[in-house]
Amino acid sequence: MKVSAALPPGVSALFFEAAKDRRRLEARLVQELEQRGFAEVILPILDYFEPYEPLLSPAGRGELYRFIDRAGDQLALRADFTPMLARLLAPRIAAVDLPLRLFYSGDVVRYQEVRAGRELESYQIGAELLGLSGPAAEAEVLTSFLELLTLCGVEEATVVVGFAGALDSLLLAAAGDPEALIRLGLAVNRRERSAARAAHPALLEVVEKGVPADAAVLGPAAPILERLHTLLEGLRARFPGLRLVLDLAEFARFHVDEKARQAADQRSYYDGILFRAYGPQRALPLGGGGRYDQLFRQVGAESVSAAGFYLAVDRILALTEEGGAS
Amino acid sequence: MGSKRPMRLALPKGRNLKVTVEALRAGGFQLAELDSDDRKLLFQAPADDLEIFLLKDWDLPLYVQYGIADCGVVGSDVLEERDGDLLVPVRLKGGGCRLSFIGPEGALPPAGSQVRLATKYPNVARQVLAAKPWGAEVMKLSGSVELGPILNLAEIALDIVQTGRTIRENGLVELEVVREVSPCLVVNRASYQQHRERLTTLIRRMEEAGVVA
Repeated sequence: MKVSAALPPGVSALFFEAAKDRRRLEARLVQELEQRGFAEVILPILDYFEPYEPLLSPAGRGELYRFIDRAGDQLALRADFTPMLARLLAPRIAAVDLPLRLFYSGDVVRYQEVRAGRELESYQIGAELLGLSGPAAEAEVLTSFLELLTLCGVEEATVVVGFAGALDSLLLAAAGDPEALIRLGLAVNRRERSAARAAHPALLEVVEKGVPADAAVLGPAAPILERLHTLLEGLRARFPGLRLVLDLAEFARFHVDEKARQAADQRSYYDGILFRAYGPQRALPLGGGGRYDQLFRQVGAESVSAAGFYLAVDRILALTEEGGAS
Repeated sequence: MGSKRPMRLALPKGRNLKVTVEALRAGGFQLAELDSDDRKLLFQAPADDLEIFLLKDWDLPLYVQYGIADCGVVGSDVLEERDGDLLVPVRLKGGGCRLSFIGPEGALPPAGSQVRLATKYPNVARQVLAAKPWGAEVMKLSGSVELGPILNLAEIALDIVQTGRTIRENGLVELEVVREVSPCLVVNRASYQQHRERLTTLIRRMEEAGVVA
């Protein structure tokens, strides 16, 4: 009988050198994380769906591979490490010494319409810093992310930094009501100039340059901008090969205003600094992360300051193998 | 590193090519290579520091989405159907048309009825139908959608109407306009960061020339 070696679209098998390359990079990253005091957690690829349902937007639900097991429980393949880690740690978090530094690695599986280049399965290494609040945690997480990115051999990348909800006040003032705010937030996120221009001159500045000329238009979020400027200034000197860009439009869809979140049916758990790295000629991010203080409360624990990041290992390997490796 | 390569621009081969080239020239690009009559699909445009691809409308968002091209111009109809995560800084003023229900005179279904609908846009159709008092089985076709109602494959169709001549010549009418459609400049998120200044200059010039909204 002839057996086909075909795999479903969006997944791949790694043989020989490709497998070695991934393991080599993974080992290097694991060693580096352990040296920084991060302890490994190994998480299952299969879990109950029900605990995560309140955290998922309709789009997020649509990306899950779900099924009913023999016991009648609805299960899902892992699509994100962070909520699973938070849920499993929630009952224990009051008993552990904080801050806690954890890392994990493995596949996440998300359904996407099958087209060339789409990944259904993506191998990630991620790290979480729990119990450290304020700018110190932001700086540690972003710095670790950049250091690991460069350690991977990424010589050239653009790292876009923003803050969840930084535009909420401006969007609400310009839009008038939460539903219009959602539409305007989406338009800013998609850099739609005419919508931004019509709503508020400062939004056109955000669309064009990433930040408004006068931070005061951001209302209560104005000091955050100053803080991020200072953070990035320090990091630029340390990472001259990386282009660090402060860009609030990139994350304009992340709201913290409760009315806006409800109107948008937003379930994203990010509520602070956000960042994403893009390699040259790569449209998909090499990694990203941010702060998510609300998540532990959402899964039933006391509030715990939390921030983390992930690196998309195979995307990084594809980039560095093309000549970006140091 | 390969990042020093020129910016890659994807242009639509079909009905939007002429208006796109005119708009981009108004923005400062020369695009002299596109004046030749040959059938090339890839062009080096050193005067513009560009590489240019000519692509089919339906494929263009994919090339931009995955960074093969940095930016491109594609109809908002295709963009909405493809549902990608592309940036859409401006829409071209020229090349506008409508996405409409078409069919024989009086064929718009009454409330509560169920019909068959032929279209190249099944995703948009499902969105639009969700707000209608009538229902439809959506039948995806690849082209000549107006034949659906003519040959009784479907009662109505959802398709692009530009001048209306094709549907008139086939004995059909535009029953209801669903969307205004226009060619859009699209950019992927990574390329926007990489080429932000250049793109902003291009867009501002096109705005000054009044060719985009």
